[in-house]
Amino acid sequence: MKGQTLFTWVFTILASLVLLFIIAPLAGMFLDSSFGELRATAADPEVQRSVWYTLAIAFLATLFFAFGAVPLAWIMARKDFPLKKVVQGIIDLPVVLPHTAAGIALLGFISREGLLGGAAQKAGIILVNNGAGIALAMAFVSLPFLINAARDGFAAVPERIEKAALTLGATQSRIFFTVSMPMAWRSIVSGFIMMFARGMSEFGAVVIIAYHPMIAPVMIYERFNAYGINYARPASIIFILVALIFFVLFRTLATERRMIFRREDETTD
Amino acid sequence: MKLRTEKVSKRLEAFSLKEITLEVSKGDYYVLLGRSGAGKTQLLELICGLTSPDSGKIFLDGEEITHKRVQDRGIGMVFQDFSLFPHYSVHDNISYPLNIRKVPKEERKRRIEQAAAEMNITHLLSRKPYYLSGGEKQRVALARTLVTDPRVLLLDEPMASVDASLKDSIRRMLRRLNREGQTIIHVTHDYGEAISLASRVGVMHNGRIIQEGTPLEVFNHPVNRFVARYAGIKNFFRATFIESYNTFSGITENRTKFKLPKADYPAAGLLIIGSSEVLLSRQGAAGIQMNNIRGVIDDIVPSATGYEISVAAGDFFYVDITHREMEQNNFLTGEKVILSFPPEALRLVGETEESRQY
Repeated sequence: MKGQTLFTWVFTILASLVLLFIIAPLAGMFLDSSFGELRATAADPEVQRSVWYTLAIAFLATLFFAFGAVPLAWIMARKDFPLKKVVQGIIDLPVVLPHTAAGIALLGFISREGLLGGAAQKAGIILVNNGAGIALAMAFVSLPFLINAARDGFAAVPERIEKAALTLGATQSRIFFTVSMPMAWRSIVSGFIMMFARGMSEFGAVVIIAYHPMIAPVMIYERFNAYGINYARPASIIFILVALIFFVLFRTLATERRMIFRREDETTD
Repeated sequence: MKLRTEKVSKRLEAFSLKEITLEVSKGDYYVLLGRSGAGKTQLLELICGLTSPDSGKIFLDGEEITHKRVQDRGIGMVFQDFSLFPHYSVHDNISYPLNIRKVPKEERKRRIEQAAAEMNITHLLSRKPYYLSGGEKQRVALARTLVTDPRVLLLDEPMASVDASLKDSIRRMLRRLNREGQTIIHVTHDYGEAISLASRVGVMHNGRIIQEGTPLEVFNHPVNRFVARYAGIKNFFRATFIESYNTFSGITENRTKFKLPKADYPAAGLLIIGSSEVLLSRQGAAGIQMNNIRGVIDDIVPSATGYEISVAAGDFFYVDITHREMEQNNFLTGEKVILSFPPEALRLVGETEESRQY
């Protein structure tokens, strides 16, 4: 190509290698499976159940925790308080914890002897080996994605626009719902998708809380352990495809809204 | 309607607002003039209630509003960047304050249409702010604030984000608003804006209002160098005034001496000379009270109306001449010339200890 420097070429090659590293194993997996195998696996009730279970629990966990995560994100973006950095560290903690360790910590918390588990049991709910427990495990490891994305979104809303709303007579709660939240919406949705996706793919923490009911990552692991790679592969492909479809669908929905704001962002200084 | 701040002070990160007292009456067009960082915007935010002062009081119509909520003050503010809601159409932006006030639908529609017509933005109602020019955004921001019938309208640098070609029409619109009775406090760094709009001017510097009055008072009798510089006056000199043998003279710090007509002079102050009032020639001008001072042309710079010539004559003097005068005289850099100052060109302003600081 004309005008390309050696520098650009080297970078393009390095970048391609990394992309190849991501694509190759996935492509290999597809090439190693036959269509018949995939169709049979997709029709397997156990696979269907675990895939839908995974999607539903991950979605509900994200939705449920968003009610607390979004206000927390707003506080982190707009308020200054003592030990704010410590709080930010706590928010980021699940990202750096080994997920099995996170599962162990969570198990102590939600088991019958634990603080939350004990309280839940009095209400007649057993969290361990239960969908609710799985949701908690998914949320525990994926919350930082939503909180941080939403925080960045709120921080990017110019404070002047919120001040303008104040001078027009709006209360703080009205400003939140009519100005801050709609303007940070794309970041919130993008954080929501990331949290959902991350929760959906969680294995380490979930497997310690609940082997059953079986979510897709646990089901794949079990098939691999019991019957080997050839049996686990089609199930993996089905799960990846479904996850991908949802991911792309959500992204597309979010991008349509994003267009409205991107143009405005370019004009704000 | 009267807005009054009484010794309002506020410590901010970089500087403080210090004991600001100002009074704005109904129908006033008050321009706060100062450089960026002088504290003008912060003062507006105190007045409309976005922040509250550390000390001092603010009154509106005799009622103390120092700690009253922003929403309840009835003071409208248009921000420098207009701060329109990007996710709402122009119509919904203007409707926003009316929705808050639960104005009935019919009434709301009428008021939006009226405000849009007044601001000439009816054709933009369905657009999103992104698609508007600076001038259009500003008219939308004004309409959005004006539908609330603000008792005082605060404008933060309304011309700063607008193309030069639109400034005239905005000035006309603001003057019309003011004529219709809208009380306005307008913040700017541009003294031209102040002259063309203000009924009263307050000059702010380092968190204080250092001079206040009608534009004529402020720009013809600046209290100190800072205000003089602001008014575009380049020839100003700190001088001492002396009387000997019934003649009066002023001597600048660089020992340039001017004869002065007999009058009641302060002991020390500022000598201010308009650049267009100085005569420049090779032979000097006649007249008993005329001060003729020899100097050398240091530089000749083209200006909008002709040339600005700086002359070194102990002090530096700036002289404005027209194209025609230049054609007739053909002055050159380095040439010896005589500066002539008619008595009416010399203005004397007493300086207080405080104003010397600037």
